[in-house]
Amino acid sequence: MTFVTELCVKILLLSFVVINLQAQTALKDQFNYAKKLYNDEKYFDAVTEFKRLLFFDNTNKYVFEASKFIGLSYKEGAKFSDAVYYFTLAEKNAQNNEELFETRIEIIKINILRRSTGRALALLVSLQNDKRYINKKDEINYWRGWAYIFSDDWENAAFMFNSISPNHELKVFADSINSEFYDVTLSKVLSVFIPGAGQFYTGEYASGLISLGWNVLWGYLTISAFIDDRIFDGIMIGSFLWWRFYTGNLQNAEKFALEKNLNMTNDALRYLRNNYPGSKP
Amino acid sequence: MKLTLIITLFFFIPNLAQNSHFNFHSPENKKKFADYLFCEGDYLRAVEEYESIRDLIRNDTIDFKIMLGYSSLGLFEESNKIFKQFNYESVFYSDGYLYSLRNILQIEQREFDYPGIPSFDPTQWKSFRKLFSISMLYADEPFESKEKFVSVFEEDDQITVSLLYDYKFNPPYKSELLAGVLSAVIPGSGKMYVGEWGDGITALLVTGLFAFLAYDNFRADHNTRAWIFTGLGAFFYAGNVYGSVASAQIFNARINFEFKEGLNLFLQHKNYFLPEYDFCN
Amino acid sequence: MTKNNLKFFFLFIFISTSAFCQLDNLKWKKVDLSYEKPNNFRQRDYSFEFDDAGDFAKKSIAYTYWFFISDVDGDNCPFRPSCSSFLMQSVEETNIAQGMLMFFDRFTRDMNLYKGHYHYPRVKDGYYYDPPSLYTLNELNVNFYYTPATEVVDE
Repeated sequence: MTFVTELCVKILLLSFVVINLQAQTALKDQFNYAKKLYNDEKYFDAVTEFKRLLFFDNTNKYVFEASKFIGLSYKEGAKFSDAVYYFTLAEKNAQNNEELFETRIEIIKINILRRSTGRALALLVSLQNDKRYINKKDEINYWRGWAYIFSDDWENAAFMFNSISPNHELKVFADSINSEFYDVTLSKVLSVFIPGAGQFYTGEYASGLISLGWNVLWGYLTISAFIDDRIFDGIMIGSFLWWRFYTGNLQNAEKFALEKNLNMTNDALRYLRNNYPGSKP
Repeated sequence: MKLTLIITLFFFIPNLAQNSHFNFHSPENKKKFADYLFCEGDYLRAVEEYESIRDLIRNDTIDFKIMLGYSSLGLFEESNKIFKQFNYESVFYSDGYLYSLRNILQIEQREFDYPGIPSFDPTQWKSFRKLFSISMLYADEPFESKEKFVSVFEEDDQITVSLLYDYKFNPPYKSELLAGVLSAVIPGSGKMYVGEWGDGITALLVTGLFAFLAYDNFRADHNTRAWIFTGLGAFFYAGNVYGSVASAQIFNARINFEFKEGLNLFLQHKNYFLPEYDFCN
Repeated sequence: MTKNNLKFFFLFIFISTSAFCQLDNLKWKKVDLSYEKPNNFRQRDYSFEFDDAGDFAKKSIAYTYWFFISDVDGDNCPFRPSCSSFLMQSVEETNIAQGMLMFFDRFTRDMNLYKGHYHYPRVKDGYYYDPPSLYTLNELNVNFYYTPATEVVDE
């Protein structure tokens, strides 16, 4: 090869390298710009810039990262269907098992937030059965626990966290919540035998007393009507008044237990959202 | 060989200069990205991109796409503001004019005044005639006979527009006065006239029951109870007459609602008789 | 910058921001997502603010009824607002006489033996939506507030 030819080849090769580097720098700059918007919580604009990156990225180098961040941005805007779409796109373009696992966990988190617990648990089972993630057992059980928390199954949630560690903070928390719940069936059964007893059990003393009073009154009037051979009066008072207040007492016994349990659940969820320092959906 | 290498070299040096300054936000690249977003149906982002380059790239297609984008987002007034800036010589002026009429229908829901009509091709003229005729269904009185109105539309649509015409100008209302009078004569019959048989029979039975109880107690000389039943009976009777008038009003409101919904659905299904614009293939 | 240039500059800012104002309303932002489950249990509004003596009398009767009877005899009304709330709202929207007529009509509909409630829309927790505004005999109101049976109303 002559000197000139050699020089031209070297310059050509150098040019290829530099062009490539320049293109990569431009894409990198755009990625960094979009990521800065994401970090500044300008999620709508972040999605726009990541989509711009995806459109111009002919090398597909940033498909995974850009799709993942678009999914995260949509998640912050509570646009879960769009988020799942882009996480799925990221999943398809994952370069390694870690990236694949990361996006699947994100999809699971969204299903937890949407309270589609069945779907979340099914995805977790598929991860558990995947031999590539044998060493991720604890993390899978962690998100299982969260799925049970969101479906109000604190007992199973405690069980899941216990499998990570018997002293796990969330295991202790779930146990304490579960132990405070009222037994709805017990509340109703108490009210079957003594009107107002279920309300007393749930701490609604005023309602329990009033319910007991009405049932005693209408019961007395019904029975005394039958004793006095006023059958029609007895049937009318018994069916329209006594029965109405008796069934009302049963409804209230159940309602108060459910309502109190819901309030405890929401207090617990609020605490987890605002105060728990660990990973959350 | 040497010559080939030198020529190749001179090709790549300018390319190097170009790629090192790849600008994602240049007007040309923004337009490419906006075209992509428009075809993906992401009109919000597409419009934002087009608006940012509108002053830099004067292009009839961009203006029209902005107009379409705003219209798709439900921003009909914004869409018409864009049309007002169209050049009369623009290749999209007539199409834009038709779209502006559609926007007016969406915003104002009233019949058109005689607008200044640009020159249309035969397809556009057909669209205009249909749109203008259908706007009559937003007027209080028809300004065309039914035969003339229906004849403007295709054979497939004539049955539907004929039904819409009848529903608008000869609606199957129920008379509020008649409903009230019927219920005054026979309690509940006004509600049955409106189609609420269950409520009508219940009103008849309840009013009848209280009337009987009042009569029976007067006959048995239980005057206090009799007057209580008389009072309650009178209230139920008056309530039944009042409720019958109200039911007829609600029935008529339902007719109005069903007409508006039916008309909207029909127009959306027909895309307001406007041509579909395909900028993506 | 000359005065004229300044005017054009501000006009440009105004036009460009006007063009984007509507779009800004549609651009979504971060949502502060709550983990809490929705609480659909009815909460009574025992407000002790009274406008006048009539308001005091009306609310006293209503609260007494709610506390001693309605909250204890079970959930018997398929409608929202409930019959007692319907009465209070009817009297507020119209007057005592018209409100009473509206209430007795509602009570009759509540007793519908055939449970023919298919023409009412529903609220989120399954009750039938039946507001007093549909029964004021004000045609404009009725046309405005009418809701078809297929819709679920966010009460």
